[in-house]
Amino acid sequence: MTEKEQLDILEEWLRLHKGVIFKVVRAYTVEDYDDLFQEIIIQVWRSVPAFRQEASVSTWLYRISLNTAITWSKKERKHAGAETLDKVEHLLQDNRTQIDPRLTWLYGEIHKLDEIDRSVTLLLLEGFSYKEMSAILGISESNVGVKINRIKKQLIARSKNYDSHGI
Amino acid sequence: MEFDEMKKIWDGQSHQSLYVIDEKALHNRIRSKMNSVRHAASITEWLSIIVYLGAGGILLVLNPFKPGANIFMYLEAAWMFVTVAYLVVSRSRRIKASRRFDRTLHGDLDHAISLAGYKLRLSRIMVWNLLPMGAIMIFSGWEAGKLLKVSVVILISYALAFYVGSKGNRVDKRRRRELQVLKEKLDAGN
Repeated sequence: MTEKEQLDILEEWLRLHKGVIFKVVRAYTVEDYDDLFQEIIIQVWRSVPAFRQEASVSTWLYRISLNTAITWSKKERKHAGAETLDKVEHLLQDNRTQIDPRLTWLYGEIHKLDEIDRSVTLLLLEGFSYKEMSAILGISESNVGVKINRIKKQLIARSKNYDSHGI
Repeated sequence: MEFDEMKKIWDGQSHQSLYVIDEKALHNRIRSKMNSVRHAASITEWLSIIVYLGAGGILLVLNPFKPGANIFMYLEAAWMFVTVAYLVVSRSRRIKASRRFDRTLHGDLDHAISLAGYKLRLSRIMVWNLLPMGAIMIFSGWEAGKLLKVSVVILISYALAFYVGSKGNRVDKRRRRELQVLKEKLDAGN
């Protein structure tokens, strides 16, 4: 595959599925979304030749994006506090005109989960099956099931708090 | 709130871009990357010039007074001075070439890619340059009757230098690749 072909495929994937990457970025970071976004784009670009069409493009993108975000998140936690000045300025600016406060709350709750649970929640909200989640995350289906039960209970319980505060 | 409702909220997210690229921030970031590559290239140049000039000078000055000195030691010193000359010319060419780029986002990005490529080439040349220098040293050891000792020292030094150099090359390569991907993306967006 030539670099040009690789780039064309990346452009096409981004055109059709960039929402996937934005959602992952938003779920994994509050401040450094441009860094994580850039990292995911580079990893997706590198992954293009390995894509075998055994899974859909969006599943593939979720797999790459989530794995990148998990690794990035662990690395960032290690280097927390080592912020450089150029990180203060963000490459990506918020383009959302109307923000649903319930969505902001939902992202906030996702942030509170650990890296793997965040991935499970994202995939669950996206409507992936247990089997697909298991393949994307590399954990057993039964483990996915246990995690989903726990996460659902947790989110529903916290939403009661949210409702009662009337935000 | 039930989970189905959360899913509805989730699905209600706009499929339009949630973010737009801030060109000014991107330009600043590219400029900062360009400056860091330029700084790294400059450090490599100066460090190499100082080391080769110093080592060549020491060889040249001490050789006549050293028992067992031979022509290969002078050859080694000469090779080091040629390397210094190459570095000085490369540096002045690089500085001259930097005037070709304008101060726009794309100009700075092209400049950063060019600098990253230069730094990568320079590091590679410096690693491979150790090969003829090592060979001359081995000849010198052979002439002085210390072939085995010199060969072992050279081999270990070269392996170490090659390892460190290769690691540095990988960093330079990745840095250049990242800049190229960014440029391709920006070009594709235009």
